[in-house]
Amino acid sequence: MPIKSYLAHPHIGKKNELAETLSKIDQCEVMPAENKNVIVLVTETDTDQEDEQLKEKLETIPSLKLLALVSGFNTPSPNKN
Amino acid sequence: MDQAITNRRSFIKKMAMLSAMTAAASMFPGILFADQQEAGIPSGANLDWKKGPCRFCGVGCGILVGTENGKAVAVKGDPNCQVNKGLLCVKGYHQTMCIQSKDRLTHALVKKNGQYVKTPLNEALDIVANKMKETIEKHGKDSVAMYTSGQSTIPEGYVASKLMKGAIGTNNLDCNARLCMASAVAGFLTTFGADEPMGCYEDIDHADYFITWGNNMAEMHPVLFSRMLEQKTRRDAKIIDFATRTSRSSTASDKSILFEPQTDLAVGNAICYEIINNGWVNTSFVEKHCNFSKGLTNMGYGIEDNYKFSDKPSKIDFEAYKKFLEDYTPEKVSKYSKVSVKDIKYLAAIYGDPNKKVVSYWCMGMNQHTRGTWMNNLVYNIHLLTGKISQPGNGPFSLTGQPSACGTAREVGTFTHKLPKGVVMNEKHRRLAAKIWKVPYERIPAKPTYHATEMFRAVDRGDIKFIWTQVTNPLVSLPKTSRYRPGMEKDSCFVVVSDVFPTPTSDVADVILPASWHIEKSGLYGNSERRTQHWNKMVEGPGETTPDAWMTIEVAKRMGFGDLFPYSEENHVEEIYNEYRQFHEGAKHGMAPLEVLKKESGVIWPYVDGKSTQWRFNAKYDPACSNGEDFHFYGKPDGKAVIWQRPYEPAAESPDSEYPFWLNTGRVIEHWHTGSMTRRIPVLHKAMPHAYVEFHPDDAKVLGIGNGENVKVISRRGSCILPASINERGLPTKGQVFVPFFDENMMINDVTLDAFCPISKEPDYKKCAVKVEKV
Amino acid sequence: MKKRLGIISLFTLLFIVFIVIWNYSYEKGLEEAYIPITNEAPTFEIPSEKGVFTRSGFALEYLDMPIDEAHQRSLETYYDNRAYPGAPPSIPHPLIKGERGMGGKACLQCHQNGGFTEKFNAYAPVTPHPEMINCRQCHVAKLTETLFTQTLFTKDQAPKVGINNALIGSPPIIPHPMQMRENCLACHAGPAAPKEIRVTHPERINCRQCHVPSDRVITDIEVFTRDNNTYDE
Repeated sequence: MPIKSYLAHPHIGKKNELAETLSKIDQCEVMPAENKNVIVLVTETDTDQEDEQLKEKLETIPSLKLLALVSGFNTPSPNKN
Repeated sequence: MDQAITNRRSFIKKMAMLSAMTAAASMFPGILFADQQEAGIPSGANLDWKKGPCRFCGVGCGILVGTENGKAVAVKGDPNCQVNKGLLCVKGYHQTMCIQSKDRLTHALVKKNGQYVKTPLNEALDIVANKMKETIEKHGKDSVAMYTSGQSTIPEGYVASKLMKGAIGTNNLDCNARLCMASAVAGFLTTFGADEPMGCYEDIDHADYFITWGNNMAEMHPVLFSRMLEQKTRRDAKIIDFATRTSRSSTASDKSILFEPQTDLAVGNAICYEIINNGWVNTSFVEKHCNFSKGLTNMGYGIEDNYKFSDKPSKIDFEAYKKFLEDYTPEKVSKYSKVSVKDIKYLAAIYGDPNKKVVSYWCMGMNQHTRGTWMNNLVYNIHLLTGKISQPGNGPFSLTGQPSACGTAREVGTFTHKLPKGVVMNEKHRRLAAKIWKVPYERIPAKPTYHATEMFRAVDRGDIKFIWTQVTNPLVSLPKTSRYRPGMEKDSCFVVVSDVFPTPTSDVADVILPASWHIEKSGLYGNSERRTQHWNKMVEGPGETTPDAWMTIEVAKRMGFGDLFPYSEENHVEEIYNEYRQFHEGAKHGMAPLEVLKKESGVIWPYVDGKSTQWRFNAKYDPACSNGEDFHFYGKPDGKAVIWQRPYEPAAESPDSEYPFWLNTGRVIEHWHTGSMTRRIPVLHKAMPHAYVEFHPDDAKVLGIGNGENVKVISRRGSCILPASINERGLPTKGQVFVPFFDENMMINDVTLDAFCPISKEPDYKKCAVKVEKV
Repeated sequence: MKKRLGIISLFTLLFIVFIVIWNYSYEKGLEEAYIPITNEAPTFEIPSEKGVFTRSGFALEYLDMPIDEAHQRSLETYYDNRAYPGAPPSIPHPLIKGERGMGGKACLQCHQNGGFTEKFNAYAPVTPHPEMINCRQCHVAKLTETLFTQTLFTKDQAPKVGINNALIGSPPIIPHPMQMRENCLACHAGPAAPKEIRVTHPERINCRQCHVPSDRVITDIEVFTRDNNTYDE
């Protein structure tokens, strides 16, 4: 179960719009910086495949300028143990 | 397990977020994020949290211990535990800090020519086993004894019982729970025929009134007290504090009622008188479910050696009981109890109001009492007469002092008269134990031998020639240590002490065995509300430290009992628990299987068909009820509880012209019992570095004693010098002084009296006569 | 004659007695006065329990109180108002009830229970000891910013927030003296509480259940270990 964190850079003036779009996606958790033009994004998905799909989906968001991966983790699934 | 993974996942998410924030900070200096988000991220980020019960007190809070690189570095309350719901107290939060104390016992020490010599554990265990065997051969089975603890884990208590009663064949096994819970046990058995409370902590969420009898819960059971305070603020539940000393609990209560020591017996009866006199008796409940009995009176106080007593109950009727109570009208009782008639009637009216739910709580105030069994009976009388029992929010609740006083001392039965199920006097119970232990039934003696106080008297007399203490510090905790310390120092007795830290008890040992601390071993405890709790080993102990259960097993093997102890070192906790569970099979005491205990933060027994029984004896909740009625007190053969006629009798020693003060002893929130663990926790020691003696300001003024001045407290047994404390933590009634007993450098138990309740054999630490001198 | 002799000898006797007593008391007066030397009181005091639960009745209101970010105090301004950490705060505003106002009729009207005051555009801090009504015995007004002469006095470091845990994540110990401040909620809850020390869980009113008093300004207490358990290696 991959967990990844990114720095999401919005187009100028589109920070709130981006934060709103991202927070509507189930697998995403966002934390916008208060005084800079950047958003911290953490994604949590069930499988690697799902993670790929999410990544593709994110890259289509118009208010997003750049998505930079910071860290990635993998944890066991709660359903199988 | 799911829960642990979810926790871990949310933790990793926070980690991921943290690393992104760090990255952002390096790109955008001065970047700010919303405060609350950061607050959720722990500062010690790599912690692995493991569940267990708290090491201190009988409440049995669930804890999570954070470990990092093999060391315990953090503790938090387990939010999934029904007991504490994430909250702990000062002791709980800092408990793991004691393990790394500099003077930790890490290796076995054997006394040679008056000097302790560091010895490999294997050799030390050889010495112990040989000495035990040799003593039995020379002086008989009853010359060896074991003294264990309400802090022993279930497996530790179980193997001790099996070794002494099953393998060796002596009943010379007792434990320090005799000093704290014996009266509660005797109370339950005489009234209900079945030990341990019928209700559970959930009663707190339902009760309208909490009446605490001689019980400073704010300091001694702080987490439960906080749950009560929560109900007070949210639901306007009321707390009534009935005590001999004004404490933090009194301050927080809605009403504080003070009484003269020992007169709780009279007030208890006066409440019953009022209930009957005002027609508040729940007649149908009493008729269907209660009997009336009386026992012997003028029992004495057990101050002399070899004192023997057994009660002879005889049935009486309601009219006789009513007649007896005429001596206890509020007016008569008010004269010597110093409780106003109004306050007695107020208490009775709370119990008597059918629309109010009442829980009574008590602990040492009622148990450490020369009439402790009677006092327990009297509170049950009140609840039985009004039918306020075994229902959510209604019931008497005896709290315990030690984390496994219930689980080990009472359920496994590490008392001289007990077996894991039942008592040694009962042939059926002996046969069951013999069958499960795979020993000849004749080997288990049918007669109990020494209870705690008498055991140490026997050591002093020279009757016991070998004693092994585990998980306890009797030379600080026994009453009248002024006799028992020189007794244990005698050459006539070989003393083995297993402990984690050096104590005044290990000072007199011939062999000191290094024990693992709580989280350095796996184990099970059982708390006050019949909740069995399991934990896995969390960190490695230092040096040759070893779990107590395993040291007992190793000694048993060396004595030639290896076939009775076929357990493996890695897995003995599990193997022993599974064997032990057989004793309690059935709806009345069935215990949860280990797989369930590993998952849950404790499970209440009786555990029947995958479900806990929260209120025993109530047919709505308890599947063991079988009489077709709403209630069934199945502990007694006729299914009825007993209302006991128990009079007021004076204390063993009361103040007189020569010794004009009552001495009361007890605890403080910072320290646990004899302080051998909590004093080694730096924050707690700094908050409460030494004991003190509390005075009423009027007494202090007459004696010319100022706060902090040293005072000598003297009784007929011994003396102790302590600084005076006037109106600080507690305020005793006039004519009374109070001293906490945690301080081994200020041994108040040199002063106390070893009088005990003749039925339960539990000593009274709360009442003896002293005088005080300025020094 | 006999009678006269009797009277004379009586007066002579009284005169002698007077001289003896006068001399004795004069001698006594020359002795040095005796002042008993009392033992030095130990440096450790158990914090009082007085008033511990005084404001607990407001616990639930504290819990539900919205945070008014525009008007909250910070720890910095809190300590700015004190000569040194632990000193009684000075009165940073004009005296509303004048110089002769006292207790219940003056300061306590705002400082007993707090609340917003339009006049100062701020929340009034709540006193932890409302039973002491001679407020200006300890709290001084501030009428000028200038000094009579310069001083070398420097303020001691105030206890810091966030560094008082004994273990990671354990409840912070209490880093300040508690005398006259036994009532935690007065300063740690409500809209006037400095934002850094505002408690997140005011409903848990038995504060000292989890937070250990630790202030040892007088002497440091050493860690407890026993020194009498020496053994041969």
